Parts: sequence; C-alpha cells; structure tokens
Amino acid sequence: MGNILIVTELKDGAIREASYELVSFAQKIGGDIKSLVIGSGVAGEAESFAKKGGGTVYVADDASLANYNVDGYAAAIRAGIDASGADVVLISNTPSGWDVAPRIAAALDVAFVSDAFDFQDGAYIRRIFNGKLDARVKVEGDKAIVSVQPGALAAFDGSSEGSTEALTVDTSGARAKFIEVKVAESKGVDLTKASVIVSGGRGVGDPEKFTEVIQPLADALGGAMGASRPVVDAGWLPHQYQVGSSGQVVTPKLYIACGISGAIQHLVGMKGSNFIIAINKDPDAPIFEVAQLGVVADLFEIVPALTAAVAAAKG
Amino acid sequence: MKILVCLKQVPHQDARLDIDGAGTWIKEDGIKFEINSYDTFALEEALRIKDAGEAEVVVVSIGPDRVTQALRTALGMGADRAVHVKDTEIDGSDALVISKLLAAVGKEESPDLVLMGLMSDDGNTAAVAPMLAELMGIPSATAVMSVEASGDGYKVERELEGGALEVVELPKPCLIAVQSGLNQVRYASLKGIMAAKKKPIDVKGAGDLGLAGNVGAGAAKTHIEKIFAPVKGEGAEIVEGSTDEVVTQLVAKIKELGLL
Ligand SMILES: Cc1cc2nc3c(=O)[nH]c(=O)nc-3n(C[C@H](O)[C@H](O)[C@H](O)COP(=O)(O)OP(=O)(O)OC[C@H]3O[C@@H](n4cnc5c(N)ncnc54)[C@H](O)[C@@H]3O)c2cc1C
Repeated sequence: MGNILIVTELKDGAIREASYELVSFAQKIGGDIKSLVIGSGVAGEAESFAKKGGGTVYVADDASLANYNVDGYAAAIRAGIDASGADVVLISNTPSGWDVAPRIAAALDVAFVSDAFDFQDGAYIRRIFNGKLDARVKVEGDKAIVSVQPGALAAFDGSSEGSTEALTVDTSGARAKFIEVKVAESKGVDLTKASVIVSGGRGVGDPEKFTEVIQPLADALGGAMGASRPVVDAGWLPHQYQVGSSGQVVTPKLYIACGISGAIQHLVGMKGSNFIIAINKDPDAPIFEVAQLGVVADLFEIVPALTAAVAAAKG
Repeated sequence: MKILVCLKQVPHQDARLDIDGAGTWIKEDGIKFEINSYDTFALEEALRIKDAGEAEVVVVSIGPDRVTQALRTALGMGADRAVHVKDTEIDGSDALVISKLLAAVGKEESPDLVLMGLMSDDGNTAAVAPMLAELMGIPSATAVMSVEASGDGYKVERELEGGALEVVELPKPCLIAVQSGLNQVRYASLKGIMAAKKKPIDVKGAGDLGLAGNVGAGAAKTHIEKIFAPVKGEGAEIVEGSTDEVVTQLVAKIKELGLL
C-alpha cells in the first residue's frame, strides 16, 4: 500500500498514547511506515518513537512549533509528506488533528477520511449520525489523509528499527497566533469523587425535569447528578455537571444513564465506571453497548418509580 | 463588515434512521429535517456580531428544495439574505467537493468572517470548515467556544480535551468553526418570520459557480460504500417486565453492589 506517514502528537512533552495507536492502524493498512514529530526540543521523543514502531521519523523541531498553531503545523505536515513521499497520512482525531488535517487534504486536493476507527477489506470504517450508524468509506486512488479516532485500536507497544531525520519547516507565513492554554478550572461539583452518578441527557427534555426526576434519584442513592453535553449546551445545567471528553471523566461504582444515546464523546467519560445501568426508550441506542444492565423504556416511568423504591428500601 | 454563515440542513436528531435501498444512506422520505445543531450556534454568533455593530449576515446552504425551509428559518432569525446552492449534479459529493462549492460562493461574497459549525450531525466529518478556509486562503480555528473582536481580527477560545481552552488570534478575513454551546440560540420571532418572506434567496447551480462537471460522485475522492448498524458486542442484559418488576430488579442489583 505504499508509504504511510504517521503524524504524532505531543502532550506535556511526551508522545501521546494515540500516536502509538496510529502505528497499529498503519500496520493494519500495511505499508512502509514513516513518522513525523512536530514541536520544540523534541529530538529525544523522536528517537524513542523511531524505536517503537515509528520507522524513519522526521523531526520538525522549531521554537515556533512549541505550541499548536494551525498554519505552522500545516506547513510541518506538508514538509513531512514531501520528505517521506507518503501516500497515506494518519493523524489522531484530536482538537489539533481535526483542526489541521482537512486543510492538508484540501491543499493537496486528495481524499480525506475523518475519524476512522478501523480499516477492513480496503475500506475505512467510521461512525456517522453521532454513533447511531457506521459507514464503510472507500478512497479513490492511493492518496488519502485519514484522521483516526483515539482509543479505537490498542497502542503498539513493540520495538522496531528506526532512525530520525531533521526536517526544516518555514513557519514564517503563519497567520493564526497561539496565545495561551487555559486549563479547565474545577469548580463546584467534583463528579470524580462521587460513588454513584445519575446522569441525564437530551432525552430528559427540559431543565425542570432534572430537578424533578434526575436529582431525586441521585439524592436517594447518596450520589451526584451528571449530564451529557447537549444539556449543558442548552443551559439546563452548568458545565461542571458534564460527563465526557470535554467534561469530566468519571469512574463511580454505579453510573445510571437516563435518556443518553451513548455518543463516543460521552462514553469516553463514563465507560470506566464499575457498573452502568442505562435507561433509554430506543433499544438500538449505543449506550446499551457499554451498560451491564439496560432498561428499554420511558425514563419518566422508570426513574420516579426507582427513586421511590430506593427510598423504601432504605426504610 | 460581511459575515458568511454556512448552514447544513440535516435529518432531525430524533428522526428514525432507516437505511435506504442502495444501502449507502438513510431513507430521507417522510422524515423531518432541521438546521444542523452546530450551525445554529454559528448563526447565533453572527447575529450577535450584527446586533453589536454593523454587519451584513449572508447564509449559504447546499442541498435540494427542502433546504429553502432552513434558509427561511435563518432569515427569520435575522440573517439578511441567503444563497441556496441547488443542483442535482451535486448528489454524491464528498466534503472536499462541497468545500469547493462553498469556496466559490466565498469568492463571490468575499466576507470578512466565515462562521459555521464544527461538524454536521449526519456525516460527522468536521472536514468542510478547515477545507473551506484552505481553499479561500484564510486562517481558521475549529471547536471555538468564544469569539471576541481583537485588533484587526478575532481572539477565539478553542475547546481542548477535558474542558481546557486554547486562546488563538486570527486576523481578518478568517473562518471560525464553532463548538456547540458557545451561546444560547434565539428563536425566530413572528415579526422576523414575516420580514424573512421579503428577504432574497439567490439560487445557484454548479455551473453558476464555475464548477459544472466538477461536482457529484464523479468528482468525489471518497465514497460511502455501505452504511450499517454498528456491530453489537455482548451488550447490556436487558431488564424486562412491568415498571414494578423492572424497578425491583434494579434495586436488587444496587443492593448487590453494596450501594443500598
Ligand atoms: C468535540 C466534541 C466534544 C464533545 N464532548 C462531549 C462531552 O464531553 N459529553 C457529552 O455527553 N457529549 C459530548 N459531545 C456531544 C456528543 O457527540 C453527543 O452529541 C451527545 O453526547 C449526545 O447527548 P445525548 O445522548 O444526551 O443526546 P441524544 O444523542 O440526542 O440522545 C438522547 C437519547 O434520549 C433518548 N430518549 C428520549 N426521550 C426519552 C425518554 N422519555 N425516556 C428514555 N429515553 C429517552 C433517545 O432515545 C436518545 O437515545 C461532544 C461532541 C464533540 C464533537
């Protein structure tokens, strides 16, 4: 399948787990694997990636690349593609990955596959409709830029032969300017400490129902209330209640999901819970894939009855 | 100051998703459509910039006749005029082809700011915004949670994992793809809906945009071969019975977990 270029990503100075998952993805496609490390003072990380599946690793090491910047990173990736002669470029579908990858495809006028989680029989597999359906996507010709869902494949943890090669990148044309990263401030509810979380999703319907239906069950179980993103987006609950990739990652003893479909961004925030109960009226909702117990019913029938039964059981 | 807002009309989030005869998309007959949720936040942000000063808000959407309804809604909310790109030849286009059509509209309009959603609720590719920016030769930022005028451009906050924010400055002209929840989206008022009836919707085909013969499945570099229900694993044990029976079993489980 020709040359594959893995675009790695650093977090806190180290190459992320997701980049090692790209090695596994590249092996699944099959081809000659090369990699790209972008950053400032990253020679050591590049050396070690070369020995852990990265093959020939191009190193775009420049002070101007210390922080993510769409224009600088696009220039680095294009230089990496030129140097490696890559046909397929793999990049993790992270906030920087999805920001830059489609630009490269448009600039080079090549195919772009977004958020693939597998490669089977010559096609990329990806989720559509927020996880409700999957699609097999075929690419015309050999060239493609592919973003890959983090966590989809196990990270490669073997060793390999490899070496590094310096890459010069001209970042002088950058227009977007990085200012700073503001870390999330945790205020109010710290869901990570709750042993029981009762979460409501868009299916709860309106803010009053959170007070009337979801909170009482959380209270009865001595737990905390959580929510999916649309609930927070609509202003029904503040952000500190949000569970998921852009909210809190929780691992309670019991997580009860009410009217939550189970999109991947929600699942990454709660699938590590010890026990999961899902209540959803749609039997095909993806949430039932991560739950141990499921109830296919109207949450407004089940949740109040459960709250009463829990209260009764406590005596 | 001109703002171009790109909108997609998508199946309603609660619509039944049945796979069509060809197995490559869902059955669109008889289901409800709505403006893509992410795009409603982009439109709201444009209207807020308009409300705060002088700006013309132009909305553009690509799609069949039904898209008129989405554009009327946007005009009812306060957009000034609309461009509807409609052409049966466009069927089967991928994100890159769609971006080329939008870039052609962008070239005609030459906006100071392009606003759109991070991704669509149907295809979920999140590809069109960065592609469009590249084709228009302007800087871009995605997953934006706040937009503030700053110097000759905008200072935006991009959402990172876990709720961290990356602050970025973009000079004008630029493209901003917003994340859901950056504002509270208004509803169209009755007055707005009445006024919208008089606002123009300019209909264009691929040929009008200089792309005749370069759109549709033939021009696409990616094709959906098949769509299907996600492969199921073991899944949850489903508790059946009357509400009382279900609740009794749930309570038993909660006790077993030592939480009661
Ligand atoms: C970059 C990015 C980051 C994101 N971060 C997060 C995140 O941190 N957390 C998060 O949650 N999402 C996140 N999302 C959004 C995510 O993709 C989904 O859109 C979201 O999780 C859907 O929320 P939901 O399940 O509540 O809504 P929906 O998907 O609309 O599901 C509602 C569910 O309620 C059910 N329902 C309706 N009425 C009833 C009833 N009466 N009884 C029982 N069931 C009912 C329906 O069957 C449906 O399954 C993110 C998305 C992106 C792109």
